[in-house]
Amino acid sequence: MEAVKTVDLVKVYKGKETVHALKGVNLSVKKGELFTLLGPNGAGKTTFLRIIATQLLLTSGEAYVFGLNVTREPKDVRRHIAVVPQDVQTYGSFTPWEYCYYFSMLRGMSKGEVQRNGEKALKAVDLWGLRNRQCTNLSGGERKRAVIASVLCSDANLLMLDEPTSGLDAVARRKVWAVLREMVGQGRSILLTTHIMEEAEMLSDRLAVINKGMVVAEGTPQEIRGLAKEKYRVVVEGKLEDISALQAICRTAKFGSRQIFYFKAEDAALELTRAALKRGLKAEIAPTTLEDVFVELVGGEQYEP
Amino acid sequence: MNLKPLKDVYIIATMKAIPDIKRQPLTLIIITFLSFIPLFFTYFFGGQNYAYALVGGMVGSIGFIGLASAVQDITWDRYVKIREMIVAMPVHPLSYSFGVALSKLLYASPGFIIFIVISTVFRILPLSSLGWVIGAVFLCWAALSSIGFVMSTYLRNANINTLNNVSNILGILFIFLPPVFYSEQVWGSFQWLAIIFPTSNAAGLIKSYAGISPLTSEIALLRWLVLIITTVVSLLLVAIKSRWREE
Repeated sequence: MEAVKTVDLVKVYKGKETVHALKGVNLSVKKGELFTLLGPNGAGKTTFLRIIATQLLLTSGEAYVFGLNVTREPKDVRRHIAVVPQDVQTYGSFTPWEYCYYFSMLRGMSKGEVQRNGEKALKAVDLWGLRNRQCTNLSGGERKRAVIASVLCSDANLLMLDEPTSGLDAVARRKVWAVLREMVGQGRSILLTTHIMEEAEMLSDRLAVINKGMVVAEGTPQEIRGLAKEKYRVVVEGKLEDISALQAICRTAKFGSRQIFYFKAEDAALELTRAALKRGLKAEIAPTTLEDVFVELVGGEQYEP
Repeated sequence: MNLKPLKDVYIIATMKAIPDIKRQPLTLIIITFLSFIPLFFTYFFGGQNYAYALVGGMVGSIGFIGLASAVQDITWDRYVKIREMIVAMPVHPLSYSFGVALSKLLYASPGFIIFIVISTVFRILPLSSLGWVIGAVFLCWAALSSIGFVMSTYLRNANINTLNNVSNILGILFIFLPPVFYSEQVWGSFQWLAIIFPTSNAAGLIKSYAGISPLTSEIALLRWLVLIITTVVSLLLVAIKSRWREE
């Protein structure tokens, strides 16, 4: 049985303008895996997560959490899930400990469990020493980690986190990553949304790229990277003259004085790198990144000749 | 018997009140003093009418806290996304709304207790009527909290200024316009309208126990029935209308 399964999931927001947020999404998250929804802003990631979290009603299709229907059995679904919403703000007068304590008590956990799990969760996000400090007196990253701790200390089997590390510095982000992987190691399932490519690549067992309400790719990070038409990228700093011949054989992207050339074959990439270096320009060859594939999939890059 | 919904009311009430009261005890004192403003002015400038101000203060402070807690607090929870996290938990919407309303009742209770003490010490209310008085105020609070909660479901995207204005307008509509702080006789042939507002209805009952404007036992019974029905209808509205899950 999957942790999450959706069949032809459709969500339409009706208002002044009708918005088709999800257009028949079929996805499944296996038990004990960390699954990431990767997509640009407005792709439908949060809508998907909120439907699974029983916060939002779907328009049509089916959605299940551990075999329970989110529309017909929301109460049962809620026993299995814990959610960190997008752009969550902390309740000023709460301390990190109170976040863990009250939310766990509402889940029906015993005081003993709350004590044990709360200490573990706060230590994991490096807030144990600050557990009794009001959130108003914590930094933005610490506040976010306080909310994440409240979910980590729950007994839920499925954790859903909507862009949990946005706004965190690299060190804090990596701490959260380590905790999430540890949770997966303990058999919990995690559904995560992000638009941070490195996060998706480092954390996910599998991921889905979602764009304009549709899944455009699904698989392991390696499989998604494998979808790249070109396997190599050469970044050149400085102006390469007479590149019209190159443009015939490769795709390029230009960012000011920096250009990226994408190649299917390694030989051609090496040849360009050597030519650039010979002209005294900085050049670096590397395999195509997940971000390159993502941009290609969602069609977001502005290519300039 | 499943006691979790009741336990959740208690947890939400304490989580919404205790940390704030512990860290900002001044708020409690300010709210208590504010509820005494009408009594202060009536006592010094209104002569004999201070008994009306005492009854009005009792009903008004509890009623306003019911309205404000629902309209402002629940929407604030939505802003900081606490509500969103709770929606995804095994918590009933009624447990949540009553927990929130109860948390604010804790703020209003010192003022209410002082009103009761003053009323009994100065023999405005007989000791034997205290149960009835507390019952009437409780029903009034439950009705106004429910009305406020239903209102808040329609104010999902309102900013904090709009919410302040809405709760103040509701306060004027339910507490200051109806005969809560003054005699129902002011409304002349329309005084029967006082019965439809939970605030003026509760105030009317308390005034009768205080002997300010006595009611016949039939009328008192009718007013209790209307107060109970208004509260039950408001509660049903919460259960039916409240949008726990967004559409």
